[in-house]
Amino acid sequence: MAQDTAQLLERPVELKLPATPAERTARRKALLEWIAVHSLGVAAALFFTLPFVFVFLTSLMSDSQALSRDLIPHTWEWSNYRKVFDTPGFLTWWKNTLIYAGLGTALTVVSSVPVAYALAKFRFRGRNLTLMLVISMMMLPPQVVVIPMYLFWAKQLDLSGTLWPLIIPLAFGDAFSIFLLRQFLMTIPNEYLDAAKVDGCGDLRTLLRVVLPMAKPGIAAIALFQFFNAWNDYFGPQIYASENPGAWTLSYGLESFKGAHHTDWNLTMAATVLVLAPVLLVFFFAQKAFVEGVTLTGVKG
Amino acid sequence: MAATTHTLRAKHRRSRLRTLAFLSPWLIGFTVFFAYPMISTVYFSFMHYDGFKPPTWSGTKNWTYVFESYPFFWPALRNTLWLVVIMVTLRVLFGLGIGMLITKIKTGTGIFRTLFYLPYLAPPVAATMAFAFLLNPGTGPVNSLLEKIGIPAPGWFNDPSWSKPALTMLALWGVGDLMVIFMAALLDVPREQYEAAELDGATPWQRFRYVTLPNISPIIMFAVVTGVIGAMQYYTQPLVAGKVASGVIQGAGTAFEPGYPEHSTLTLPQLVYNLGFQRFDYGSACVVALVLFALSMAFTALLMRRRGGLIQAGD
Amino acid sequence: MPGISRKVTSALAVTASTALLATACTGQASSGASDDPSKDTTITFWHAWSAPNEVAGVKALIAGFEKVNPNIHVDVVGNMTDDKMNQALRAGGSKAPDVISSFTTNGVGKFCSSGALVDLNPLFKKAGIDPATTFPKAMSEYTQYEGDRCAVPLLGDAYGLYYNKTAFQKAGIAGPPKTWSEFEADAKKLTVPQGDTYKQLGFMPDYHGWETTTEHYMGQFGPTYFDASGRSTVATDPAVADAFAVQKKLVDSLGGFQKLERFRSGLGDEWGPKHPFQTGQVAMQLDGEWRLGMALDAKPGFEIGVAPLPVPDDRADQYGKGYITGTIAGIAATSKKQNAAWELVRYITTDTDAVVGFSNAIHNVPSTLEALKSPKLKYDPRFRTFLDIAANPHSSTSPASINGGVYLTTIQQLGYDYESGKVTDLKAGLKKAAAQIDTDIAQAK
Repeated sequence: MAQDTAQLLERPVELKLPATPAERTARRKALLEWIAVHSLGVAAALFFTLPFVFVFLTSLMSDSQALSRDLIPHTWEWSNYRKVFDTPGFLTWWKNTLIYAGLGTALTVVSSVPVAYALAKFRFRGRNLTLMLVISMMMLPPQVVVIPMYLFWAKQLDLSGTLWPLIIPLAFGDAFSIFLLRQFLMTIPNEYLDAAKVDGCGDLRTLLRVVLPMAKPGIAAIALFQFFNAWNDYFGPQIYASENPGAWTLSYGLESFKGAHHTDWNLTMAATVLVLAPVLLVFFFAQKAFVEGVTLTGVKG
Repeated sequence: MAATTHTLRAKHRRSRLRTLAFLSPWLIGFTVFFAYPMISTVYFSFMHYDGFKPPTWSGTKNWTYVFESYPFFWPALRNTLWLVVIMVTLRVLFGLGIGMLITKIKTGTGIFRTLFYLPYLAPPVAATMAFAFLLNPGTGPVNSLLEKIGIPAPGWFNDPSWSKPALTMLALWGVGDLMVIFMAALLDVPREQYEAAELDGATPWQRFRYVTLPNISPIIMFAVVTGVIGAMQYYTQPLVAGKVASGVIQGAGTAFEPGYPEHSTLTLPQLVYNLGFQRFDYGSACVVALVLFALSMAFTALLMRRRGGLIQAGD
Repeated sequence: MPGISRKVTSALAVTASTALLATACTGQASSGASDDPSKDTTITFWHAWSAPNEVAGVKALIAGFEKVNPNIHVDVVGNMTDDKMNQALRAGGSKAPDVISSFTTNGVGKFCSSGALVDLNPLFKKAGIDPATTFPKAMSEYTQYEGDRCAVPLLGDAYGLYYNKTAFQKAGIAGPPKTWSEFEADAKKLTVPQGDTYKQLGFMPDYHGWETTTEHYMGQFGPTYFDASGRSTVATDPAVADAFAVQKKLVDSLGGFQKLERFRSGLGDEWGPKHPFQTGQVAMQLDGEWRLGMALDAKPGFEIGVAPLPVPDDRADQYGKGYITGTIAGIAATSKKQNAAWELVRYITTDTDAVVGFSNAIHNVPSTLEALKSPKLKYDPRFRTFLDIAANPHSSTSPASINGGVYLTTIQQLGYDYESGKVTDLKAGLKKAAAQIDTDIAQAK
């Protein structure tokens, strides 16, 4: 009892005086604004999430219900997911997509870092020209060069029907990654570099020991973007991997899923969920890096 | 004296070598994957090549064919214009709107932000198929709801006047990336400027126009530019939407129909695929590729002029 | 001095380009006809079939071949569309197939004239088989182009009319329609509306309705497509205009394009369990002979009737004819194992028991005269209709063209525009289509 009174006495006393008319209007206005904003927010949230919900619900419908206008499944056919997993090639698509995205990202990072560093910190004649060329490459739709590239990979190197034509070029730098990383590296103050030089570090060691640790957010960002790009790539696999079902990726396989496997919407939606889910899961675990990465592109650009 | 100039030259050479060494991956990449194919594409655009017999010179035949006789070329160009003007604008505006909304939401900001951002992560093929299902005029949930309320339900991906708006809806659904950068930009606007404006008696609209807009205009520019690049490269979504909506499955004697319905979802990149990988007219495909290149470079040039700051001079 | 690096770069680019261009440009050197077919070898066979029963049928066919030729192993890859096959044939290389089989005869013109598939005439001669006496006339015709036989028929397809006998009885219709006027009347009688849509639709006439393509409609009207000099006749041939008019009339009288398209978009998959004819949603269906087997497997709740498709009113005596096409097989010119590939092709296309067995498995029309007569042919009595259509002298196919099926696509595009009302002047549309076809062929030469 005594303790409670003591605590009461310690807390600052809030005098609740009756509100003035001005304050009341202000508070009402604030409340209305709160309601308006949050209603809009809820409406927007519905717009963004309902498609996921409907897709998920449809994925659990039975064959006969999939074509009806019902929104809720009558029977919850979890076996649809089993059926999709057992579809020949589904796991192969997974494997291929992981290899393409993983290997591609690793190669991109390794090859883009030195180029970005040179463009950010070295002075040389032709730097602006190089930068403009990098930017031009960024703007280039892949369809512009696909014909000669396809003929090159397919006829010269016999690599059509594989994903190598998509992975190998990433070992030579990716324009977008180079540009992004360059913008980021430019924000690293030169004092650090000068200090390293004074300590006797050559350019390579400066890069590795001093710059890289500070560039982690930038590198994480380009790695995420590249992984994303490869995971979502449809055109590339369509050109190079379509002849060989053993090389298909998730995006290409999903698109051919509906017709090829004589399925209706329920199984197709189940497959869609299985393609969506991993990306969403990765996001939940790497939220901070994702958002930082996207911010980096916009704000620094 | 000779010694110093000698060391200086040596130093210069070393620094040049160093530059070359660091740039080497990109130099090789540029030559093999950009310069060589570009020259090749120009070369092939004047040749008749079907992949089997050796190429033969055909002069301007392919060019005349694409510009005058290929029935899909001009619809695709018109569609690209539509996408650039309407889809990009709407996406930027919607992104800005959602960004502003999220800065005003005080309760549960994190949850809202996550939910708004999620659709952006969906792989394009998955997202397009989801929307093709949702907007199916016969059995999709959207039309069932609309009809229950009594609003006439459009044909979405099956109706040529609604297919691009449907694609725009899909693009708006995935506006998460723009939302995030606008949100960051909006939060970066110095508070003092808002306070000063309020003191001056500015209305909310005036505050937006004279404080917010100038501060975030670089981001708006960035959003527009990346949006236009995306519009030029728009390939997967219209292709998948058209294929799924038409219900026509390749094979069994059915002929492929680009841009279902009625060329409304045709884009230039799809033409390169149609000419090159379905008709196997590599020459004409290269012509379209060059048109695509020219348009993209025109926008790049525009960007360079308006935002020279993109190439920050740096140190 | 850094200018050197720029000069070096551009020099690199130019030399690299010319070197790569020079090598990329050379055509294929055919070198595959020197393999020894009696040695142990593996060849790759690509086909387009994908339905479970079809895939099983192919498996059985190949198993039969490997039994007779134990030294030749066959890697089978299914569900390969024409696009992918065309791509692989051009690229060549280790992943390209040795033997291909395509659903469409359209590509034969391109395959033969470009040399993508090997001319089989010498191989037939060596084997002592005369294609003219082995295969039915139309099938023999659509597998060659200007004297070059680069393909062989591998089972055929005939198109006819499937109808819901139970629905016919309910609507009081005695038998299947023989002319297009009767057909339109029957389709209307069989249509039962339900609110804004249909409980049962008499017939789905839209060109997007899977098999109701311009190509298949026209099969009943017998157009010439091309004249002697190779120019398109679609603008002048009354058969073409008639076909378009009949289809448009059907669309208009069955509810209009918008309503029909909306209904169509909600229907099940062509190869899936909810095919609208099998579910009873559509009472009449224009389809190929394979549909009978599939429909019977689905155990629909009604009796299935099969008949030839109707003919134009002014040619009622030709009732019984239809559109025929088929799967074709060929040997890739880039194959390094052409002799082994020939053994496979010869077996699957001319061995009577193999052809009969395959035909029984996937319910397609057999492609050799011997097989057509074979007592081992097992078929539902209704299947007889398709055999008759295949044998009917008035039945037609679509001619080969140097750019494959592009002319059919052009005609189909006009169909889409005409049925939806986008194009109202049919005559002008046909003229434009004919010009387009001629230009496209000139472009491909």
